[in-house]
Amino acid sequence: MLQQFLDSLIADGVFGGLPRDIVYLIGMAAAGALVVFGFVLNVAGVTTFVERRVWARIQSRVGPNRVGPQGILQWLADGIKLLMKEEVIPFAADARLFKLAPFIVTIGFIAAFVAMPFSSVLIVADLNLGILYITAMTSLVVVGIMVAGWASNNKWSLIGGIRAAAQIVSYEIPAALSIFTVILVTGTLSMQGIIQQQGWGPWDWFIFHSPFTFVGFFITFISLLAEGNRTPFDLPEAESELVAGFVTEYSGARYLFFFLVEWGNLYVISAILVTLFLGGWQAPPIPVISDSAVGRNVLEFLTFFLKSYFGVVLMMWIRATLPRTRVDQLMTTCWKYLLPIAFFNFMGTALWVLVFPEGFRFAEILLTAVGFGLLGYFAYRVAFHLRRSGAQITLSPLS
Amino acid sequence: MAGVLNTYFRNIFDTAATVFEGMAVTCSHFVRKPTTIQYPDRTDVRVQDTLPYRYRGILEVDLDICTGCLACERACPIDCIVIDAKKDKATRQMMLNRFDIDIAKCMYCGLCSEPCPTGSIHHTPEFEGADYSLESMLRRFVKEPVAAYKPKKVEDDPKILPVLERGMRYLDEFANPDEEEKGAEA
Amino acid sequence: MSVAGFEVEVDRGSGLETEEMTLNMGPQHPSTHGVLRFVVKADGEVMRRAVPDIGYLHRSIEKISEKVGYHGFMPYTDRVDYVAAMFCNQGWGMVTEKLAGIEVPKRGEYCRVIAAELNRISSHLLAVGTMILDIGAITPFFHAFREREKINDLLEELCGARLTYNYMRVGGVAWDLPPGYEEKVLAFLNQLEPMLDEHYDLVSENTLFRGRAASVATISAETAISYNLVGPNLRASGVRYDVRRDEPYSVYPELEFDVPVGTGMAGEVGDSFDRYYLRVQEIRESVKILRQCFQQIPDGPVVAKVPRKLKPPAGDAQIRVESARGDMSWYAVSDGSEFPYRCKVRTGSFAAMSIIEEISQGLMLADLVTVIASLDIVAPEVDR
Repeated sequence: MLQQFLDSLIADGVFGGLPRDIVYLIGMAAAGALVVFGFVLNVAGVTTFVERRVWARIQSRVGPNRVGPQGILQWLADGIKLLMKEEVIPFAADARLFKLAPFIVTIGFIAAFVAMPFSSVLIVADLNLGILYITAMTSLVVVGIMVAGWASNNKWSLIGGIRAAAQIVSYEIPAALSIFTVILVTGTLSMQGIIQQQGWGPWDWFIFHSPFTFVGFFITFISLLAEGNRTPFDLPEAESELVAGFVTEYSGARYLFFFLVEWGNLYVISAILVTLFLGGWQAPPIPVISDSAVGRNVLEFLTFFLKSYFGVVLMMWIRATLPRTRVDQLMTTCWKYLLPIAFFNFMGTALWVLVFPEGFRFAEILLTAVGFGLLGYFAYRVAFHLRRSGAQITLSPLS
Repeated sequence: MAGVLNTYFRNIFDTAATVFEGMAVTCSHFVRKPTTIQYPDRTDVRVQDTLPYRYRGILEVDLDICTGCLACERACPIDCIVIDAKKDKATRQMMLNRFDIDIAKCMYCGLCSEPCPTGSIHHTPEFEGADYSLESMLRRFVKEPVAAYKPKKVEDDPKILPVLERGMRYLDEFANPDEEEKGAEA
Repeated sequence: MSVAGFEVEVDRGSGLETEEMTLNMGPQHPSTHGVLRFVVKADGEVMRRAVPDIGYLHRSIEKISEKVGYHGFMPYTDRVDYVAAMFCNQGWGMVTEKLAGIEVPKRGEYCRVIAAELNRISSHLLAVGTMILDIGAITPFFHAFREREKINDLLEELCGARLTYNYMRVGGVAWDLPPGYEEKVLAFLNQLEPMLDEHYDLVSENTLFRGRAASVATISAETAISYNLVGPNLRASGVRYDVRRDEPYSVYPELEFDVPVGTGMAGEVGDSFDRYYLRVQEIRESVKILRQCFQQIPDGPVVAKVPRKLKPPAGDAQIRVESARGDMSWYAVSDGSEFPYRCKVRTGSFAAMSIIEEISQGLMLADLVTVIASLDIVAPEVDR
C-alpha cells in the first residue's frame, strides 16, 4: 500500500527527479518514524501507567493519580525524568557494548511492528514470511539482553543475561511448534493471509478450530510470556534474587529503553496471539460504518487494538497473581511439558487437516461452547470470592 | 508407566486449576474498593484528627501549668529533656530558665508524660516531624525565665483554668495507672 | 587463590578452566530484609555455600540496659525485634517482675496476652507476606500488609504507637483497654478469617508457589534441635514444643489452643512450605486465643504498685517468652542498685541465621531468598 502511495506521488512529480529507490527509502523512514513515535512509544508508555493502575487495584491501592487527569500522564513524567537523569557507566564495564545493548534490544522490538497487521490495509509490509519474520525479530531482543548482562561486568547482571539466553532459546521451540499448528491450517505465513482465513465470530477463530489449536493457543501464550520475560518467567530481572538482573547497572535513558521494550513487548506478544488465534482485525459488519473503506478500517483497527490490549491487561493480571518459577522448573516446564505437548499438537493438527480439510463445524461450535463455559465458571468463582470477603464493591475504575 | 503418566497429567491439571483459582481471586479485586487513603491532601479530615487519643506524637509542653518538678527529665531514658529550674532567692518562687526537648533524639516512648502531675508535658497527634536541620528540631519552650506553676487547692485563674483542665483530662486518659504509683513513690 | 576469605578451587587439569563464583549478597540487596549479608559461593545457579555475615545492625541494646534502669529500658526492648515488639516488652517486664517479686494483676496479664497475640498475628502476616514477595508474587504481600495495617491501627489505639509500642510496664501494662476495644478487635478477627481463606486459595494452594517452597531446604527434627531452632521453625520440623504450652507463663494455662506442627502437606516435613504454612495456622490459633481472652478478661487494675525507683534485691532471673520468632529468653542480673548489672536476650532469629550455612548447600541461588524468608529472620533481632 505504501508502495502504491509513493508511486502515485512520484507520478504527480512531488519528489522532482529523485531516483525511485531513494524515494522509497525516505518513504519507509517516514512511515517508520510515524509508527514509532505515533504508536509504539505511546502504547508502551501508556501500558506502564495501565499496568501500575491494574496492579494497584488488585492490591487494594489507588496507584498513580496525580500527574494529569487520573494520573494518565504519569508515564510522560517518568520518561522525562529518566531522560534527564545522569547516565552512569561503570568504570569496569565494557563501555562500547554497554552503550550498544539497549539499541539492539530496541531494534529487535520495533522491527516487529513492520509486519503487524492493524487492519486489512494498515500494515507497513505484508511480508509473505510475516509470522516467521516477527518471531525472528523478537528473538533479537535476547542478543541485546545477553550483551547488556555481559558488558555490565556485574555478576548479578551476568546471571540475568545467561538466564535470559537459556530461557528464550528454549522457549522458542514450543512457541514455534505451536505457531506451526496454525500455519498447517492456513498454509500461509503471511499475517494478512492468516487473518483473512478467520472470521469475526469466535467460532471462526483458530483457537476454536480444533482441540489441538485450542491447546496450542495456551502453549503459545505460555511460551511467549517466557520469551517476553514476564511473570511467572521473569527470571532475568528477578528483583528479589538478582537485584535487577541485566539492568542492574543501567540508568537514565538506556534504562528507559529497556523498559520501553519490556512493556512494548507485551503489546507485540498479544498482537501475535490475536493474529494467529483470535481472529486478528476481523470485525463484525456494522451496516453504515462498514460500507465506507475508512469506516471499515477504523473498525478493524479498533477491534485489533482492543483485542490485543485485552491480552496486555491479561498479562499484567497474571503478573499480579503468580509467583516466579525457579530456573530448573522453568526448564522442566519447557522441555518436559510444553515441548512434548507441542509436538503432539503439531502431529494432531496435521492429521486434523488431513481428515477435515475444510474444518469441522461441530468441533468448532463445541469448543466455543467449552471456552465460554470456562469463562462462565470463572465468573462464578469471582462472585464467590467477592461474596466470601464481604468487601465493598465499586465498579468505577477511577480513584 | 501408568503411574508416571497419571502424575504427569495430574501436574498439568493442578497447575491449571490453581492458577485459574488464583486469577479468580485477583479478578475479584478489580471491583473491590481500594483501602488506601490519599495522604496528605485528599483525605476527608486531617489525618492528625483521626488519630486515637493515646497517639504518641511530637511532645508539647504547657508552660502555664509546668510545676518544674523535673519528673519528666528523670523519667526520660535518653535524656532528651533538659530543664533548668532554680528557686529564686528573692521571690521564693521556682523559676524555669530552660526547658528544652530534643525532638531529634526523642523516641516517643511516653515515659515522660506519665509522671507529670499536671499533664503539662504531653504528646500531640502531630507526627510530621521532618525538618531541614537538626538545630531546628531542638524545641526550646522557655523563651525567657518564667515562674513555675504552683498547684493550688482550687484553681481560679481564668487564663490557666482551661489549660489545667486539658492537662488533667490528659492525665486521666493517658497516664491513668500512675494514680496509684504516686502513692507508692511518696 | 583466595577471594573474600574463600579458597577458590581452580581446576587447571582439563584445559577448560572453571571456577566457582563468589557472590556478595547484601548488605544492600532487595530481599535480605534489613541489612543481612551473605557470601555465596556458587557454581552457576547452584550454591555451594552461603555464609551469613552478621553484625550490621548491632546496637548494644543489652549494654544500654546497664545505664537506664528497669523502667527506662522498656522502650529500648521495642527495638530488639521491631516486628514483634510486644514480646520483648513482655520479656523484660517478666524478668524484672521475677527479680523484684512483683505480682501482675489478672487484668494486666490478659491485656498483655491480647496485645501479644495481636502482635503475633501482625508479625506472622509480615513473615508470610514477605516470603511470597521474595518468591516473586506481589499481590499477596499487599493483602497481608493490608490486614497488618488494621492491627497496627488497633495497637495504635491501645498504646499510641504503631511499631515501637512500649505498652507494657514492670508490673502490668501502661493502659487499660480503651472503651469499645473488644468490638473493634472482634470485628477485625471476623473479617480476617475469610481473608485467610482467600489467601489460601491465592497462595498456599498455588502449584507454582508450592513448587518453589515444597521440599526446599528441609530441616529434620534432629538438625533443628541440634542447631537450637525455636518457635515456628522448630515446630515446622515436627517437634511439638511451644513455651506457651510447655512452660506456661502469664494466663496461657487458662486458654485453650492447639500447637500446630509441620505435616509435610506439600513435600517433606520441615521444608520451606511447612514453615510458611505453620505461620498461617498459628494466625488462626492466635485468633482463637484472642476470642477466649475477651470472654474471660476480669475487671480490676492493670498494673501493680511498683516504686518509681525500682531496686530489686541482688540476684538473677531468667524467663522465657514464646515470641513470634520462637522461644525468647531473657536473663537479668541485679546487684541491688537501680540499674541492672547485666542483661542478656537470646533470640530465635540468631539460631535460624546460623543454620543457613548448613541447609543452603546444593540449593539453587533463587532458593536462598526463599530460605531466608521462610526462616523469618529479622535482622535487628539477630544482632540486637
